[in-house]
Amino acid sequence: MLTSGPIVVMQLPEQLNAREVRTFMQELEPLLDSHRPRIVFDCSQVRYMDGAGVEMMLHCLEEAMKRDGDLKLAALSPESEVVLELMRVARVFEAFTTSDDAVRSFNALPVDGSTQSAPWYSNFFGELGALKQVS
Amino acid sequence: MPSAIVIVGPEIQELKSSAPLREVSPKLSLAAAQLQQGTSLACVEVLGRSVVGRLIEELRCAGVEKISLFADATVEPLNVAVVDPSGNTALCSTENPWSAAALKLIEYKEAKETGDNPTLVMRVGAYIEFELTDLLQFHREQNQVATRAFDDHQGPLDLWVVDATRLTRAEDLLNVLRATNPARYWVRGYVNRLEHAKDLRRLVVDGLSSRCRLRPQGSEARPGVWMDDGAQVHRDARVVAPAYIGRGTRIAAQCLVTRGSSVESDCQVDYGTVVEDSSILSNSYVGIGLDLSHSVVDGNNLLNLERNVTLEIADPCVIRQNRISRKEKNRQSPIVFGLPAVQFARAEEGSH
Repeated sequence: MLTSGPIVVMQLPEQLNAREVRTFMQELEPLLDSHRPRIVFDCSQVRYMDGAGVEMMLHCLEEAMKRDGDLKLAALSPESEVVLELMRVARVFEAFTTSDDAVRSFNALPVDGSTQSAPWYSNFFGELGALKQVS
Repeated sequence: MPSAIVIVGPEIQELKSSAPLREVSPKLSLAAAQLQQGTSLACVEVLGRSVVGRLIEELRCAGVEKISLFADATVEPLNVAVVDPSGNTALCSTENPWSAAALKLIEYKEAKETGDNPTLVMRVGAYIEFELTDLLQFHREQNQVATRAFDDHQGPLDLWVVDATRLTRAEDLLNVLRATNPARYWVRGYVNRLEHAKDLRRLVVDGLSSRCRLRPQGSEARPGVWMDDGAQVHRDARVVAPAYIGRGTRIAAQCLVTRGSSVESDCQVDYGTVVEDSSILSNSYVGIGLDLSHSVVDGNNLLNLERNVTLEIADPCVIRQNRISRKEKNRQSPIVFGLPAVQFARAEEGSH
């Protein structure tokens, strides 16, 4: 059975430049090394973003996905959204209005739980069992 | 024939008797200051030529021989050779173009240069399609000192016809132009007030889709795809109609220019970039592998119209002023961009 750690919300610094990214990554590395890291980047404070910032986001997403985890973005300013779209990386991330929404999305169940919980082959075996009984 | 006085400057309502119009921040680029003072986007190249250039050309075609252009000296000086290549337009750069225009009109009258013909007075602001003969006929029938053009939707336009013979002093002209009860001529043609970059985009799209008389410069390479002289589109790039590629502009391989986009003169769009529903103003470079949509780019400034966001891009690999133009002249941004917004700078080497 797979287990997951807690969902961690990280506040991104106001200046998302190379120097801030280095400091931020030191905090983040242990978390990325854990099993199934589930991370939310709260971008509400970001006022400046450079290539290092975008690279860091992509790197974290890649590392999280390698370990069967995920990285989601929250509270992106319109300016940050425009930059991410311009760089063609906006579509790679799941983005939410608030950090709470992003956290909830990790725990969200499928809309129709019964359909999803019953595997596709259950009907087939059900029908097979009925045929055996008949025979 | 009637004469015309064309003013490139702020609206007349903002004039104070003696003080300058508005304080202009010295930090702003000259052209940006021009816009902040109320001059619209009419001086910006749209589909190969500025609105003011097109206006003067139309006036010449309509038989207006004497055209005097008064530009605000506190902003970037107009290049009259670009505005009117024929060289017949007199340009006067002054701190108060309205007063200078009024003095000129009185000068004309006293020298009897205009005869009994009315004078067309207009501020370059909105893009207006009107029939000059119809306007002059209406003015004669009204028998008033001045007739002002109005737009159905948003009211008065900065376009008047004035009888100079009925004026005695320069101040009279200003009072006549400011009057609240002139004869009203309702413009039936296309009007775009060009107050915001959104209006600029609308004018581009309307021009490309023939919703107005504004035609792209150059020739139609394919139906709906306009290319000006010296425009180069790589054979592996795709330009989807309607679209406009300006003079001397280069579109690199694997690029896509689509949905009413315009790339004005001397621009470069680099490998694999998509330009969708956007305008790239002249002398701009757009870098490799970008997605540019619903935006106006000018040099290193990007205005996203969908989100109403302005960005100053610090990384010259992303967008910048095109290197070609730097050698030519010190060109300033014609659009006011909010500063500082989120900046996008080149990542320092060895950041990871």
